Parts: sequence; structure tokens; C-alpha cells
Amino acid sequence: MKINAGNLKKGDFIIYQNEIWQVQKAEFYAPGKGAALMKTKIWNVKTGKNIDITFKSAEEIEIIEVESRLMVFLYKDNENLYFMDEKTFNQYHLPLTAVSGLDKYLKEGEKLYVYIFNDVLLSVRPPLSVRLKVVKAEEAVRGDTVSSAKKPVTLETGAVIMAPLFIKEGDVVIVNPETGEYTGREGK
Amino acid sequence: MKIKVNFSNLKNHQNFLFIIRSIEEFLQKKGYLKIDLPVLSPFLIPESYLEVFETEFRYFDKKEKLYLIPSPELFLKRLLVEGVGSCYYLGKSFRNSDSPSSLHSFEFTMLEFYKLGAYYMDIADEVLEMLREINKRLNIQMPKIKIKNKNSKLIKDEQTEISLNLDKWEKISVKEAFEKYADVSEKELFDHQLFLQKARKKGYQVDNFSYEEVWSQIYVSEIEPNLGKNGYPTLIYDYPKEFAALAKLNSDGKTAQRFEFYINGIELGDCYTELTDWREQEERFLKEDRERKKLGKINYPIDKGFIQALKYGLPACAGIAIGVERLAMVFLGFQSIDKLKVVDIIL
Repeated sequence: MKINAGNLKKGDFIIYQNEIWQVQKAEFYAPGKGAALMKTKIWNVKTGKNIDITFKSAEEIEIIEVESRLMVFLYKDNENLYFMDEKTFNQYHLPLTAVSGLDKYLKEGEKLYVYIFNDVLLSVRPPLSVRLKVVKAEEAVRGDTVSSAKKPVTLETGAVIMAPLFIKEGDVVIVNPETGEYTGREGK
Repeated sequence: MKIKVNFSNLKNHQNFLFIIRSIEEFLQKKGYLKIDLPVLSPFLIPESYLEVFETEFRYFDKKEKLYLIPSPELFLKRLLVEGVGSCYYLGKSFRNSDSPSSLHSFEFTMLEFYKLGAYYMDIADEVLEMLREINKRLNIQMPKIKIKNKNSKLIKDEQTEISLNLDKWEKISVKEAFEKYADVSEKELFDHQLFLQKARKKGYQVDNFSYEEVWSQIYVSEIEPNLGKNGYPTLIYDYPKEFAALAKLNSDGKTAQRFEFYINGIELGDCYTELTDWREQEERFLKEDRERKKLGKINYPIDKGFIQALKYGLPACAGIAIGVERLAMVFLGFQSIDKLKVVDIIL
């Protein structure tokens, strides 16, 4: 289906230069000379690359209906992530390159939304946050009272993030999987 | 639409008002006379690239259409003809169909000032002095601006931080900018057919699009992101005559005496040496009006009194329009104009 670029909105999937991209940001822009434009930031579902593209608002853009489906993350190897659709028990794979480092924060057995088009997985919809157990954290140095100070901690998936000094082994921390940032600790 | 109260922006809002006061004190010290103006008008200047708000005045069984002004130009130029001298308006202006974004609001604060006997580059000097004055009064280091690493195409790549120096402009003509940033030669830039051919080669959709439309797309995609990022504010000047609007043409017949200025890729102001020839202005108006009708935009009456005023004689002058929220946003180091508002209307 083709639509005018002026109608693009965040979340749409488009075909641009023969590849599938998801619109991350779409802002209408009237520069006060010439025509109105649509400034977008689009994300390549295959490579994870973000680019800025400006379309004329009347330009026709091919959009595709990509389904977002809940699947179980089974495991990963050196090349792929493996998922299962719990309704059909069909298994799918997704190259690691399509998730740009997100896999470091994914736990086996977890349910995630994946993008699927023509029965092929395109990517994982990054969850806003993930909860992961800390498996290794060094004791904070006594007397260090700077509240903004951080230390590296290792999570159950093997990822290492920077967390506040009060985080201990066994704590469950909340992490933004897209940036690897610590955003909080789960209450006990 | 919703009304959103952002009470935590109160401090930012006060800083925004402080910048407005600094601007006004600067202009008044320089001899510009402050003028307040209506925001509703029965006529407007035909401008094809923007949409307006239409409303209605009702008394008994009579109705009259009124339009919110997209700029105060139609009023200020009448006063210039009357002999008001150098003057300014600092107040609300309205532009429809600009969906709210980090840089746009359909209702915004515009500073427009005119200097008698000046041409566009004289205004450039005045603006730079004004920027320095605002900076001095804010008494802060100019915000660190992000510079895109020249060797990378990705916005996500490493960014270097530098501070902005207001000692001088980085001046670049539109012609030079297209050559430098978009690999479009002077010949290609001014010849519509060659330009569209070049654009197609670059991967732009050109079928069924005009020179103006494709030009704008390339300008926004490839030129704008580079402006105001070399440590100085950038002044980009001499636009193709297709974008002359109300500006006087240069003697080359191809370009108009128009400049815009940028900090960190953000357009902050638009300046012309004002066109005083009423015949040429009338022709441009008719063309713009036809274009508006073609685009199905609100069909407001052309301000004929404006042409009458020009016939009487607009003194030689130059003027500039500056988006005050954007300017304040840049000075205060914000990424969006929302940060300045305590009450905002949002979608």
C-alpha cells in the first residue's frame, strides 16, 4: 500500500531503497519556503541502522503491514536467536545482527514481541525495560559516599552494566535493554 | 487536543521571558520603535507555502471572515510607508498545519524588525550584536552544541562538543552550500531541468514534483544539517529567485537578497532586503495566490491595500523575522521548544 509521506507515523514499516525500515520519528516540517516536508528517523530492521530521511509530504511511500507477535525466546547460538510461536509451536530464527546487542539482556524462556512479515522474523520489539538478577557485584568501597558513583555489575545473562554502589549480588535490577542503562531496582 | 500544564518548566519560562526583555531593551536602545498590532485580519499576504487559521466575526446576522496573522508584515509595511521609521513587533503569530514538533508550534512568538535605509547584510550585523547582548545578559557560557563527526553519515556516531562563538558569522551563499554539501553545481542549481535530473541521480523522487519542492527536500536533507555547526552561527544568503517571497532580487537576476541564519542546524531567522517595486510584488502575489488555490489552501482575500501602500512608496529598508522560542531554546540549551512552556496545547 502506498501513502503520502505526510501521513507517516511512528511505528509504521516502510520500504525504502528495497529494504524494510520502521519509522522511529516523523515530524512535519514547513521550512517557510518551498513545500512542506516530513522529517523522519527510520530504523533498518535488518541491520539496526538508524538514518535521517526527509520526504516531501506529498511523496508516495510504500508501507507494509508487519505483524507484531508474542513469542518465546528459546536460546541463541553464535549466529541466531531462536523463537517459538506458542500457538502453532512453529520455530523461527533471527540473525543476531538484527537485534543490535539487545540479546545481551534477553533471558531464555522470556516472552517477547517480534516483528514478522511473510512468515520471516524481521526483528525483536525492544521491551521498555527488563528485570535481571545480579550474579556478581563487588562490595562498594567503604567511605565512598558519593551517591552518583557507579560500579560494574554482572547480570544473569552475562551482560555487565553500571549500577549504583548499593546494588548487591542477588538483587533484581531494571535495565533499559536498548541502552544498557540501569533504571532501578526491584523492590523486595 | 489537550491542554498540558508543565509547571516544572516555570524556571525555563522565566528565562524565556528574560530573553524577550533583553531583545526588547536591545532594540529600543538601537532606536527601533515598538509597535503592537492586531492578530486578526480580514486580508493577508498570499503565501503558498503556509496555511492560516480562519475564523469568523459575527454581529447580528452579518458574518465576516477573519484570519490569524502568520506574520505582522502586512501591518508593519503600511506603517513604514506612513513614515514610522525603524520599528519592531514582538508578539504572537499563527501558522496552521504545522503539526507541533520540537521546533514547531502553530502559535508562536515572532520578532519582526525593519531598519530603514538598510540592506539585508546590515541586518546581519544588527542580529549578531543582539545575539551577543542576549548571551551577555544571560551571563552563561553558550550551550555546548553537538557537531556531527564529518567522516560519518550516521547521526548516532561520535559527536564532538564545541561551544559557540558569536564574534562573527560563518557566511555561505546558497550556491556555495549546494556545491559544498550536496555536490550540486551552480549550473545545476539554477536550471530547473538540470536540477531535477541531478536530484533523480541522487535518488530523490522527482516525477510530478516541482523544482521548488525538490529543492526544499535537498536543502533540508543535505544543507540544513550542516549549518551553524562550525563553531559560529551560519548566515546562508542569496536564495534562488523562486524563493524570493518579498525580497528584492540581486542584479544577477537569479537570486534574491534573502538570508537565513542557523545555530546547530536550526533555522532561527529569515531576512530580506524588502522589495519596494509594487508591480513586481503584485505579480508575485498573483502567482502565490494561484498556487494556493491549486493546493486547495484556505482561499483568503489578497491584501490589496498592501499593494496600494507600496504604490505610495515603501522606503528602502530591510527586515527580519525571528522565531523567539527557537532562539531561546538554543540559548538555554534545550532540544525542544516545549521546555519553555508552562501551558501547552498538544495533540
